[in-house]
Parts: sequence; C-alpha cells; structure tokens
Amino acid sequence: MKFDVVIIGGGLAGLTCGIRLQGMGVKCAVVSAGQSALHFSSGSFDLLNKLPDGSDVVNPLKSAEKLDAVHPYGKIGGSLEFYAAEAKKQLIESGVVVSGDASANTYRITPMGTLKPTWLTMEDFLSLPDRDSLPGRKILIVNVAGFLDFNTKFIADSFEKRGAECRMIAVSIPETERLRVNPTEMRAPNIARTFENKDTLNALLSKIGTESDGFDCVVLPAVFGLSDSVSVKMLSDRLDCKVCLVPTMPPSVPGIRSQMSLRRAFERLGGVFMLGDTVVKADFGDNKVVRIYTENHGDYGIEAGSYVLATGSYFSKGLVARPDSVAEPVFGCDVDCSANRADWYDVSFFKPQDYMRFGVVTDGGFHAVKDGKAVCNLYTIGSVLGGFNALQQGCGAGVSMITALYVADNIIKG
Amino acid sequence: MGGNGKSNEFDVIIVGGGATGAGTARDCSLRGLRVLLVERFDFAAGATGRNHGLLHSGARYAVTDRESASECIKENMILRKIARHCVEENDGLFITLPEDDLGYQATFVESCQAAGIDARIIDPEEAKRMEPSVNPSIIGAVKVPDGSVDPFRLTLANVLDAKAHGAKVLVYHEVTALIKEGGKVVGVTVVDHKTKAAHNYYAPLTINAGGIWGHGIAAMAGVRVDMYPAKGSLLIFGHRVNNIVLNRCRKPANADILVPGDTICLIGTTSSHVGFDEVDDMRVTPDEVDLLLSEGEKLAPSLATTRILRAYAGVRPLVASDDDPTGRNISRGIVLLDHEKRDGVPGFATITGGKLMTYRLMAEWATDLACSKLGVDRPCTTMTDPLPGSRDEDEMPKGKSFIVKNPIRKSLEGRHGDFSSKIPSDNEYDASLVCECEDVTVGEVKYALNELDVNNMVDLRRRTRVGMGTCQGELCACRAAGLLGEAHNCSEKAKSDLAKFLNERWKGVYPVAWGDALRENEYAQWVYAGVCGMEQND
Amino acid sequence: MNMQQVNISENNFEQCIKCTVCTVYCPVVPVNPDYPGPKQAGPDGERLRLKRGEFFDESLKYCLNCKRCEVACPSGVKIGDIIQLARIKYSKKKPKVRDMMLANTDFVGSMATKFAPLVNASLSLKPVKLVMDGVMKIDAHRTFPKYSSQTFESWYKKNVKELQALYKNQISFFHGCYVNYNYPQLGKDFVKVMNAIGYGVNLLDSEKCCGVALVSNGLINQARRQAEFNIKNIRKSVLSDGRPVVGVSSTCVFTMRDEYPHLLGVENADVRDSINLATRFIYRLIEGGVKLQFRNGIKLKIAYHTPCHMEKLGWAFYSTSLLRMIPGVELQVLDSQCCGIAGTYGFKKENYPVSQGIGASLFQQIEESGADFVVTDCETCKWQIEMSTSKKVKHPISVLADSIDVEATKKLNGVIL
Repeated sequence: MKFDVVIIGGGLAGLTCGIRLQGMGVKCAVVSAGQSALHFSSGSFDLLNKLPDGSDVVNPLKSAEKLDAVHPYGKIGGSLEFYAAEAKKQLIESGVVVSGDASANTYRITPMGTLKPTWLTMEDFLSLPDRDSLPGRKILIVNVAGFLDFNTKFIADSFEKRGAECRMIAVSIPETERLRVNPTEMRAPNIARTFENKDTLNALLSKIGTESDGFDCVVLPAVFGLSDSVSVKMLSDRLDCKVCLVPTMPPSVPGIRSQMSLRRAFERLGGVFMLGDTVVKADFGDNKVVRIYTENHGDYGIEAGSYVLATGSYFSKGLVARPDSVAEPVFGCDVDCSANRADWYDVSFFKPQDYMRFGVVTDGGFHAVKDGKAVCNLYTIGSVLGGFNALQQGCGAGVSMITALYVADNIIKG
Repeated sequence: MGGNGKSNEFDVIIVGGGATGAGTARDCSLRGLRVLLVERFDFAAGATGRNHGLLHSGARYAVTDRESASECIKENMILRKIARHCVEENDGLFITLPEDDLGYQATFVESCQAAGIDARIIDPEEAKRMEPSVNPSIIGAVKVPDGSVDPFRLTLANVLDAKAHGAKVLVYHEVTALIKEGGKVVGVTVVDHKTKAAHNYYAPLTINAGGIWGHGIAAMAGVRVDMYPAKGSLLIFGHRVNNIVLNRCRKPANADILVPGDTICLIGTTSSHVGFDEVDDMRVTPDEVDLLLSEGEKLAPSLATTRILRAYAGVRPLVASDDDPTGRNISRGIVLLDHEKRDGVPGFATITGGKLMTYRLMAEWATDLACSKLGVDRPCTTMTDPLPGSRDEDEMPKGKSFIVKNPIRKSLEGRHGDFSSKIPSDNEYDASLVCECEDVTVGEVKYALNELDVNNMVDLRRRTRVGMGTCQGELCACRAAGLLGEAHNCSEKAKSDLAKFLNERWKGVYPVAWGDALRENEYAQWVYAGVCGMEQND
Repeated sequence: MNMQQVNISENNFEQCIKCTVCTVYCPVVPVNPDYPGPKQAGPDGERLRLKRGEFFDESLKYCLNCKRCEVACPSGVKIGDIIQLARIKYSKKKPKVRDMMLANTDFVGSMATKFAPLVNASLSLKPVKLVMDGVMKIDAHRTFPKYSSQTFESWYKKNVKELQALYKNQISFFHGCYVNYNYPQLGKDFVKVMNAIGYGVNLLDSEKCCGVALVSNGLINQARRQAEFNIKNIRKSVLSDGRPVVGVSSTCVFTMRDEYPHLLGVENADVRDSINLATRFIYRLIEGGVKLQFRNGIKLKIAYHTPCHMEKLGWAFYSTSLLRMIPGVELQVLDSQCCGIAGTYGFKKENYPVSQGIGASLFQQIEESGADFVVTDCETCKWQIEMSTSKKVKHPISVLADSIDVEATKKLNGVIL
C-alpha cells in the first residue's frame, strides 16, 4: 500500500496531524493500535498549567517563553501562538466545538468539585474565570441513581466550602434502571447511550425540572452527548437555569465524542484510518524509513514518503518501560531516560514522576533520533516525545496538537 | 470471671491486633475473661498481613527445627477445620533443581516424617502434571500438605468471635504508657488516634502481643525483650501462576517459596536485619526485587514474563534467647515471657516469636498463663471451635439476592464464608460492583463499614480486597471513597483517605513499576491527578 | 537484567490495565443486561477462573465473538479469544440439537441442496416456521437463506474446471458453505473476475466448513478436526502446488487465519499469509500492475457495511478501495458496527430481540442512506440486512464482476489463453 504520509497512532496528536495533511491534499493513513487516551479526557484541553519548577501559569503563551529547547514548546518557539490558534480552529472545524484563550487559562470543574486551570473547553462544559469561582449560588447536583463513577457529595462539599448552597438528588428512570441489572455496566457511555433517545432524555428532564425550581445551576455528570451535542443542548433549553456537566471517571463521554469527531473529520477528507492494527516492523534504508509492516496486513507492507510517530506514552504503548530502560518499540528510536530505575519515581503518588518526562529524542524539527542520528523522514509528535512532564505541567493536549500541526506544516513545506 | 466491673476495668488487656493478639483475645473471651484488645492502627497491619500467607505444613522447618515443624503440622490440621474460609488446601511441592543436592531429599523426607508431616516423594513427571508451572528441569519432588491462608480473614474472624463473646476492641488506639502501681502493671494509657484523647484502662494482667513493636511496649514496663527486626520482602504477581505451593528442597534460603493465594501468587522472601527506626515504613529495594525475580524464576519459569502487581516487606519479630544477649542465637519458636517470674514485674506478660501458623497455639499458651494468674480453670477450645465464617456450609441466600453471577457470588462467599449471608444484596445498588478485579460489591463495602471496624480505605482493603486486584485502586478507589464518605458523612476525610490509599498502593507498585504495572500507574495518575485534579494534601 | 524485558506472558489478559475502553464498543452490553460485558467476561473473569474453574459464568454465551472489543483495546488484549476459550474450557452446557443443526452448515447444506425447492418452500412456510420456533427455538422472524439446487462445486466441475489450467497464474478458491449451497452466483462472479485478470481458479483437494459456527455452538472437537482438515489441504495448495488460497467470506478467512491458532490450537503460521480475502488479493495485484477495465455508463449509489470480522482483520480498506475504483460509483462507508446476526447467534429464538436491537442503528443508517444496495464481504450480514431493511445486499466481488468489461480487461493484462 502506498500513501504520502503514514501516521502511527490515532489519538489527539495523530488525528490532528492527519486532518491538517489530508486537508492540504496529502494522502494519509493512520495506523492505530486500539482506541486512544482521549477516552479519559476531561472535556478540556490544557496548554500549560505549571512550569517545570512548579510555579502556576496564568498566561500560557507568556510562560512558555521561559521553556528551553528540550521542551517541545521550546522547539516551536515564536510560532507557538500561531499554532495554538490553528489548533483551536481545527478542533472546531472538525466538530469539537471549544472555547478558550491561549493567553489566559480558565478553570474547569473536576470530579472532586475543585477547579483546575485549562485552555480549551468543549461547548458542553463550563469553565470559570478564576480559581475561586462557582458555577452558581444555589446549586442542584444531580446523579443518575446507581452511577458510582460520579460523586455528588465530593462536589457539593467543595462548592459549599466556597460559599454555595447545594442540594443533591439521585434520579432514576426505567431506561437507566434497566442498565443497573448488570452489576458493572452502569458506565458513563452506556448511560449516555440511553440519553441519545429523546424520549428517555425527556423523562429525565421532567424529573429534574420539578426539582430545579429556585436553583440557578444544575450540575450533572458528563453522561450526555455521546455522538453529538444535541442532548446537551436539550438539557440547556429545557432547564430554567445554568447547566454544568462535570467529568466522570473513565470512560469519558466527551472524550469518546472528540475521538469520533476527529476520526470522522479525517475520513471525510479522504484519510484512511486503520483501527486495531499494530506496526510490527520497519525497513530502513539510507537514513530513511522505507516501509512498515503491520499485524493485520502481514507481508503486505505500507510505504510512504514521510512517517509520523504519534504513538503516545506508556498507556498507549508508545513507550515501553523495562526494568532497566525505556524503549520506543516501533522504530527503536532513542529515548531520553535515566538508567537507574530508582530515579524514575517519586515515592509520593501525587508528586511529579520523572518517568513521565522520558520520551523520544528529536532534533529541532521533531525528526526522531535513532542511534544518535536524526531519521530524515520520521517525525515525532505528542506524548511519545521526551522533555516534558505532561501531567505535572498540564500541557499534554497542547503539546499533542501543536507539535502535530507544526510537523504537518513542515511535511507540506517539504 | 464475670462480675460487673467498671467500663474501664477488664480481666486482661491485650496489646496488638495481629493474629496473635486477636487469637489471644478470642481464646480469653471464650474462657470467660473480660477482654480489652488494643491496636494502634488496624487488625493485621503489621507482620501478620505482610508475609507469604503460607499454610505451612512444617516441612520447611523439618530439618532445622523439628519442634517448630511439628507445631506447624498440628496447627495446619487444626486451621483446616476451624478456619475453612481462610484456608485453601492447595498442597505443596518441595522441588529439587539440577543445581540442588538431591541427597538432601532423603534427609528432608525423613525429618518430615519424624515431625508427623505426610511427605511423599513423587516422580518429577507427576509433579509437572500436578503443577504445570513448575520448572520443567526438576530432578526431584516431594509432596507435602502445605496450603495457603489469608491472614486478614483469619485475624478478623478471631476478632469477630472475641467480640461476640464480649471482648471490647479498640482500633486506632495506641498504648502510650503502662500504668504501674508499686512495680506491678495494672493497666494501660491509650490515646485515641482520631480524637487524640487519652484514656486509662485497668486489668490485673496486660499481655504484650505487639510483635516487633512489642519491644517498645516491654520497654514501657521497664523490661527488656531482645528483638531482632528481620525484614522480609515479597513480590505479588498479577494472577495465579501456580495452584500448588512451590518450595525448594534445600536448606531454607532466599525467595524459595511461591504461594498461590486468592487471585494472586507471591514469591518470597528476602531476609535482612533492619533497625527499629525503619520498622514503621518498610520499603522494598531494587536489589531485593531483582533477587526475588531471579530466584523465583527457578521455581516457575513463567514468573519471568508475568506481570508483578506490587512489592512489600514485613518484619519478623525474632527474639533472642535470654541466655544470649548478643542476639545471635535466634529462635523462630514461640516465646512466652511471664515478666513476673522473669523480671519481677507482675501483671505483665509478652507473647512473641512464633509465626502466623502458630498464632492459635501462641494464643493458647498466653491464655493458659492468663487463666492461671487469674485463677480461672477453663480449658482451651480453640482447637475445635470453628471460627465465624467457617461454621456453616450454607451459602449466600439465593432467593432474594440480586447477585446472580457466579464470579461475584463465589468471591463474596470466599471472603466471608458463611458470614456472606450478612452482606446486603437485595437490590441492584447493593449488588453492583465497586471493585471489578476482585468482585467487591457495594453491599460488601457497606457490610464492612458497618460491622467490621473499618476506619479508612486501607482497612476496607484488608476486609474486602478492594484495590488489591490488577488495577490497584485505579477504577475502584474513587467509588469506595464515595461510599466511605457517605457512611462517615464526611467527604473531606473520604477525599484525604483516597489520597492516602493511592499513596499506599503506589508504595507497593513503584519498586516494580515497569511494563504493564507502569502503564497501569500512569493511567491511574492521569485519572486522579489529571482529570480529578487531586493533589498531595499532607 | 535479562528477566522481565518482555513481561507479556501467555496469559495475555494481564496486559489489561482496566481502562474500560472495550466496554464502550461491545454491541451486546447496551441491549442485553445479562451479559457481563467484555471486561468482566474477559480479562477480569479470566483472572478469577485461573483461581478456580467454578468462577465461570454461563452468561458468557451472550458474547457474539465479534471481536470489536479487541479492535478497541489499546493494550492488545485478545478479549474475544479469552471469552471463547473460557466457554470452550469451562462451559458445562451441552449443545442442543438445534445448535448442532445450525452449526453443521455443510452437512445440513448438502442435505438441503438435494431437496432445495422442497426445503426452501417449507422453510418459508408459516407453520414450519412456527414449529421451528416452538420446538427448535429458531426464531420465527428469521428468513432462512435459500438453498440452491446446484452446488457451486458441481457447477464448477461441469462448466469451467477444464479451462482453468490455461491461465498463467493459479490460485485455490476456498468457496465456503455459503457459496457452495446458497449462492453459487458469487462463486461464478469470482471465477469471472479472476479469469479476467489472468488467474485460473482451482478448488482445494477438498474443503470442509471453516468451523466458525461449530466454535460458537461449542462443538469444539468437530471444529478442530475440520480446521486440521482444511489446513492440510491449504498447506498442499500453498506449499506443494504454489497456489495461494483465496476466499470471498470475511468470516471464513478470518477463522482460518486467526481462530484456528488462537482458539483451536491448529497451527497455520507457515500458510497464514497465503490465506487471502478476494478483495485484498485483487487490490494487491492492482498495486502490482494488474488493471481492470470497467464498463461505461455505470451509475450506482452504494453503501458499504464493515462486517465485524472484516473490522478485526482491518481489511475493509481493500474492499472499499476496489469499489471506489469503479467509475460512476458513489460509495458511502457506513459506520462500522455489528449488524447483530453474528453467524448463527441471531437465529436462536432467545437471541432474536438482542440481535435486532444490536443492528437497529445500522438498519436505520442503511434506510437513510438512499443507496441502491448495500455491499458487504460477509454472507450472514447479508441475511440480516436483507431481512431487516428494504435493501438488497451484494458482495464486492459481484459488484466488480458486474462492472468490468471482461474482454477488455483480459486484453489490458495481456491474458492470452
């Protein structure tokens, strides 16, 4: 099979890159080993929340200027603002409608009821202007009866601490009761699937409607809008007050919807998305990747002019940790990691873990380095990159989209 | 003894909620004594919960310590009867590898038989059929009646029975001083960890069952018990590789036992001396992990490719003989010290040494001493009285229960025996799963919170196995914390408990965090620190 | 340190990191609350079953074996295989007469072909259907596939066998039960297309049903025997005669490539790459220089449905790319989702509502598509879609056969007999 570009990895980075390229008429295939880490998205996309030294970021664009060239943003340098704007634009054009500003973080509501800085937030979700904000004064917090992955009390306590008045209710309707027959499958996407049906959603709304009198905000778990935003719009239209969805434990409904929207956008442009396939081997020649082989296509290799490695971090197996090293399994690229396992971790679960900083070494143009040498047609984007701790710095989504667009443009420029 | 004493007066105070303390509390209450059991954290939080969970046949000690061996086999047979729901009758194999001396086998079998252990040499081929995971290059195999025992369940069952017979049990209460009157110990001062309030309790006899921490309790009485903290590290694998206990047929050494227990199997142990300053926070080092793996692989080669769930370490309360102040002459046998006789301190005794296997016998000895001191003449019945959970064959009620799936029903029955009938399950909510790896239901969590002295998520784990499965809390911890917050009507505490629980899980994971264990943890960190925005709060 | 460089044991379930992604893509969970879901039935359950077999739950039978959980899994866990293997290993339920009848597609097929008009008439008679419903528990709503009065094999031997040796290149055609008993026309279309591009079509020395229905109905020993038989014949074709094997059913091909080694323990590594699906085989030839000459004036609006096993194979790309090559074809690729039939699953009375519930949104998309007909690579999907929608369903090879100009194609490829 022959393509202009083969992208390995079908998550936020891979699809962002694919959409950009395919939109410019570059024939792309995405090879994705299963579904991506977008499946536990919060419904928001972070650009930069903290600097490596731990200091809080208010203006991501301004703070990013302080990052050195080890950090992917450092490599992008002055173009960061342009690509941040492009990323937002492309998300919206791909059907993931977001709002937010790269020069001022806003604050999303966490499942614990606390606020966390973020950059872009999906239309279904609320983001607040500062850390002490509240979505309302009198807040009704609603759960679907029997749903364990959303805790109304955690949220109520946090809101009440900041001065809100909260009431909690659990609502049950026959369709969700039916799900409860199964002791495990009362999961966010399964609940959301029942609410795709308008009658079911209406039944829920009539139950909430009577309870929400006198409240200025209704908080609900993010179990609406699995395939589009119609049901979320219905919530807003029918309830007489502000509606605020809060992310649940995984799987994430907004994450699944983002993944599906991006994939559809890519395929609409003519891109080929190969889900559930794994690259097993690559042929190299003349400091170039010549061809890759996958599990599904066996001895029938895939050839392309350029290859983009967007395989994600450990979760997505873009990086594989062994007792004494961290490896990149597809091409065997060089990985920046400490040889001493004891240095990989902090003993506290919540402190920055050094292993999260490890990743593929690249040159300034994001060409992957293998055996000390940059491979001229192999680019690296997203979480598989080294030099940054996405969790600590709150920059995972930003790095994924911005490196993806930057690399796509470089491929187009040739 | 009876009598209506004041609410702070007892016949005997037992310090330490491990298997020995719980067993002693049970035995004393069965013999009619008014008992107070004080534990500074949770039941089985020390060495009791940090060992192999091996139901020793005694074979391991047969050659080197016949007395221990014969104690073991007797207790082994007793536990099979009285603690059915805590025990799995798996059998064990002592295998000889090409690098081992096959000549040892004869000595071994002879010593076993002399100690009353049914040890039988079998054909290595038969051994491989019995246990397909065993190293195929074995040149010898001996079958012995080893098994596995769940120390958390065992300790809890003893506590439950003690309580059923009137014992008062205080967890998260730490003894800060012994009350003395004219050189005699007459009671204890304890501090409630939750309220920080101090209380005095009185009894004519205080029994120190504090394990390695008993060293400090003895010091409060002004007596010296020379303990030698010996650290033993173990690794837990993600699932059962073997169904029969695998041991090496040689002199006991490092990492030579692989025990299947509940859903997992574990390899251990290492052995090293540590200081008393370390015993409260034992951590497994990379060297220990490597040693356990390289030796473990010799027992069952598939361990080389099996996911490791976590690593942990316990401290054996080894006691130096009184006649050897250097501490070199260490016994693993039971040590009962009557401090009145030994040190001239009446009202105080220490029960220590021994091992999980002999907890009941230790309790019997300690209770015999208590009875003789208090002038009570009632025989011990713990060798025949089944523990709660192991009394009836009855399973969970099937009629009204919403638990219809085999794996869930069997898991609940396995953990609570006949007490599983107490687990609420008559609606969908109670029947739904909190922990999907170990099949812990909402009802089971409620039962534990209401009836099993659970104060936090770690306690809950010991009662139910919540968070002990492959995900190590990633999926279930948040759900469990929600239920805890509901039960205690305090979500702030539940949230900080959740953070502590995740830290406690991480402590066991990071020594083995590579491969899928690291993937799992990266995912958990993204969910809790990322999506949920949780931060360190201490 | 050497150890633990690859901590992937044979117990592949332990790569599961409990991310729950599989539960999102299971078609059964939303419609059947009695099914534990792929995570519980698969990796979670397997860990417990390793402890003791009594942790097995018979509700695993509700799994369709569609493998969509495996396609979604970011950890490479073979969830579907784990569930099927557990059923094979632990289930105590014996297959019913009905299951044996549904499973033995070739035996029943060979009997039915002999009496095709009679069988077809009676299978569509209401009283017969009600008896089947009541006694056999085969749902009365089901339309049975019609049996042809002449098998593909006998047509082939009578009409085209002699000519095949004249072609420069040779392949062996695994026709499968469906082509042989129910729809020989697809086999004829395949011969037409292959001959046009210069390939002679042979049959294997002998073939039996691939066994997919035997596996799902618990008749494992028979399935294994048939797998061994087929692989023996495939081996002869590939290794001795130098003829790659090509099939037209995505399910047969998937079963022979992947289920044989994974579920039945029948090794096929030496020939696996030579077990091809027709559309993949032809696409690859085209990339290598083979050309198709299409007829003029084609104007078609078609919708492609990706069968579950096609999704698992990852090969829908080949079929849709071929269809897109036909000038005048407007192709819509439907959302990849299960149609609900899952081979013989949907035929069972107890599964009928679940089966139709699973397919509902696909059927709706098909009705709304405005397509002239639906195209798919799987015969059971064809039955289900034809029964549940107003559209006819064709195989991509039949669409190609209808669209090419055979003589012009032969000329383009220099095919001289």
